Amino acid sequence: MNALIIGQMAVSGALMGLVYALIAYGFQLTYATSKSINFGQGELVMVSAFFCLTLTNLGLPYWLMVPGGLLFGALMGLIIERAGVRLALEQKSEGWILLSIIMGLFLFSAAENIWGRDDRPFPTPISADPIRVFGVDVTRLELSVAVGVFAIMGLIELFKRRTLLGKAFEAVSADRDAAELMGISATRTVMLSYALSGAVAALAGILVSPITTVGPTMASALILKAFSVAVVAGLDSGFGVVLIGMALGALESLASFYLGSGWREAPGLTLLILALAVRPTGVFGKAVIRKV
Amino acid sequence: MRRILLLRGAELVVFAFLATIPLLVVNPYALGLLTLLAIYGILLIGLDVTVGYLGQVNLGHVAFLGLGAYAAGLAVTRFGLGMVPALAAAMIVGLVLGALLALPALRLEGPQFALATLSFAALSTTALNELEGLTGGAQGLSLVRPALFGHTLTPPIFYWLCMALLALVWMVMRNLLSSQWGRAFEALRDSPIATDAMGVGTYYHKVAAFSLGSGLGGLAGGLYAFNFQYLQPQSFVYELMIILLLGVVLGGRKSLWGAFVGATVVVLLPNLLSNSLLFHIFSGTGFAVALAAGLRGLAKKSTRPFQALAPVVAMGILAVGGFFVENTEDWRKGIFALMLFSVVVGLPEGLMGFLALFLAKLFRVPPAPLPAPSDLDAVLPPRTQGDAPLLVLADLKRHFGGVKAVDGLSMQVRAGTIHGLIGPNGSGKSTVVNVISGLYTPTSGSVSLRGSELPQGSLNRVARAGVARTFQNLQLFSELTAIENVMVALKGVYRMPLPLVLLGFARAEERRAQADALALLDLIGLKEQARAKAKDLTYGAQRFLEIARALARRPDLLILDEPAAGLAHPDVVQQIEIIKRVHARGVTIILIEHHMDVVSELCDRVTVLDGGKVIAEGAPDEVKRHPKVIEAYLGQASQSGPGDAEPQPA
Repeated sequence: MNALIIGQMAVSGALMGLVYALIAYGFQLTYATSKSINFGQGELVMVSAFFCLTLTNLGLPYWLMVPGGLLFGALMGLIIERAGVRLALEQKSEGWILLSIIMGLFLFSAAENIWGRDDRPFPTPISADPIRVFGVDVTRLELSVAVGVFAIMGLIELFKRRTLLGKAFEAVSADRDAAELMGISATRTVMLSYALSGAVAALAGILVSPITTVGPTMASALILKAFSVAVVAGLDSGFGVVLIGMALGALESLASFYLGSGWREAPGLTLLILALAVRPTGVFGKAVIRKV
Repeated sequence: MRRILLLRGAELVVFAFLATIPLLVVNPYALGLLTLLAIYGILLIGLDVTVGYLGQVNLGHVAFLGLGAYAAGLAVTRFGLGMVPALAAAMIVGLVLGALLALPALRLEGPQFALATLSFAALSTTALNELEGLTGGAQGLSLVRPALFGHTLTPPIFYWLCMALLALVWMVMRNLLSSQWGRAFEALRDSPIATDAMGVGTYYHKVAAFSLGSGLGGLAGGLYAFNFQYLQPQSFVYELMIILLLGVVLGGRKSLWGAFVGATVVVLLPNLLSNSLLFHIFSGTGFAVALAAGLRGLAKKSTRPFQALAPVVAMGILAVGGFFVENTEDWRKGIFALMLFSVVVGLPEGLMGFLALFLAKLFRVPPAPLPAPSDLDAVLPPRTQGDAPLLVLADLKRHFGGVKAVDGLSMQVRAGTIHGLIGPNGSGKSTVVNVISGLYTPTSGSVSLRGSELPQGSLNRVARAGVARTFQNLQLFSELTAIENVMVALKGVYRMPLPLVLLGFARAEERRAQADALALLDLIGLKEQARAKAKDLTYGAQRFLEIARALARRPDLLILDEPAAGLAHPDVVQQIEIIKRVHARGVTIILIEHHMDVVSELCDRVTVLDGGKVIAEGAPDEVKRHPKVIEAYLGQASQSGPGDAEPQPA
């Protein structure tokens, strides 16, 4: 019986962990091309979810709302890149950390005032009825998260490997200067990566909202854990985030069961600080040789 | 003198003014604000150490405020301690937890550092909330302000206490930050590698800086607890952190005045937002300033279009939005965001950075005069050394995976010589230098200096053992002036223990350091530009400055990594002259160089590397004619006379 409960907690935790992995994957996309990440990504997730809620309330069917939301996310990603990141990258400074935090704060404030401070349910046609697999209950909703996460990650990876634009993306990731010399515009590629990252964040919002409800603070805990996953796995670890995300999800679900729900965030945060201390490049990241 | 008068005078006037306010005005609300100003002043001075001097985005400072506040609160409520021990406890909690967080977090840079501190802040809020038995959790913790030496602290007295502490912190930090410590903090922001290579422990200074800043956060927390006499974990969250960052950035980084101005803004903000007329005036002024500055920047082409326009747009949204929003309080975060955005983009030096320039011009404050240079013989005593081997490399190997960058290298560098190390690109020269200087740990083999083994894999320890180096890709402390670059590296001058430095007893040392550094700048011909920032020097001057900085270590062995790379011909000539002067003082030099004429002119002996192995060694002229060398540089040995073939830079 006890084993079953643990199994149940671990499985639903791990499925939730896939959302962290997805957001972390969004960090990887921009980190690859520009060595920067959007510290306001959580707010992007939240604002996109609200936007999708509005689309749904306007009567748009779910399957049209999803691409609408992705487009919105991509657009927001582009705005953040233009206003918050590009200048700092040109100056080779780390101003983007502060600027992306600031833009996130603005989005937060805007959402509070436009959509209100309350948490709202997010309608979805996918049912929440549980299916029993090996004695563990899994809802279709949770499965839809897994499907969505793997689908978009798969698509983006295919895009990077199979299309010319995607190869340009990989080239800039590998060596920005060399790519520029080959006639690839690094600026455009960074824009592309921010757009993709924004779309990924929007999808994370769409997938997680039916489970957590939509509210201005919906992403504040989510984003901390996504940071943990990204850093623990390594910001250049590729699919490593999936493993770490699922592990962290399971771990925190067990922690909240055994230590009390207030400690839910603790394992992720501790893990992050430890991982940074022991292996700053992440479990799956590549160690860099310092050159002078 | 005039400078001292103006600067100290301004400080004195402000503090005296602030101290007399409670005598003149009996308004509890105003007094409350002023008390808060003192507390936030201390808090922001602490935050400025990491954000300004270390140049890292610190998102954990608010946690130290909270932890300090709870430490003081619990000391009073649970342990019945008095005011002084409670404040001490608050500060110690900040110092210790700061050091503990710093140990792992400070190996990190940029985003990773921001994330680590962010996580720490979230974790401590969780702990404060969940440890209900101790902290009372979300219910909060009520406390009564204890007496100080038997005196009950009425609001004005408590205000004076806070102000006195702010003045004390101000003085102590001014002493610290204008000493070698402050310079070291800035140096490691600009180039951690060079800081280590100059024997100034990067890690040690980073931990010290972070711990110190956090300690001040803790102290401010203690005062915060006694000010409000009620604590809640929810007070110390992300939003307050953003406001604190706004304070530091808006006030101006790396400036005590900046922290003070920032604290004023932070304290006044809530009042500004609650009164719509004030808000309109404020946002209108902000918009006008941004517009004027933006247009001026565009006209003079001193800023990029984005930098000029973005603040105008942001302040425009603020000014126009103010008329459409019913309650500005609701948009508090958005307003902070717009203001902070405008400042970060348009005024990166902050208000004080801008004002300081302006005031310095207005009052024509001359910079403090530099002392006369020391006698060079005292700074860099000429030495005559025997011909004994100084540096011995024995079967040194360094492999990167399958790449054998250095593969069984043995060589000797004799004392008092200039030993050239040449070879085609990729032959392993730079790796050898990096292994000797401690950046890389050798895969196997040994490096010894004067017969004793050099430490492996630590730039800092190798530097302390007597090896100094320059960098092929310049690693100057770009925000520091030329003379400060040299002063950071000076060896054997700074002896004053930290407590005395804090009390301001390091001034004599400081003069001596300036004099010594000037002597070295004179040696390389940069004495006149001692006050120019390193980043503003010409490329040639930057290369020379790297040598002066390395000489400040009084090294037994100086490694010059391509000192003539990228130099124009006149600079190359001067560089050769400088190296000769250095050599004349008896410093042993390893010279890595591509310019064959430089090598021929300077080197007593040359070792040629290819594929990580020695292919030839001898006097420059012998080596140039060596068939293996010609082959390495030009491919197959050609029919023409080997003497003609001079290796050229690739």
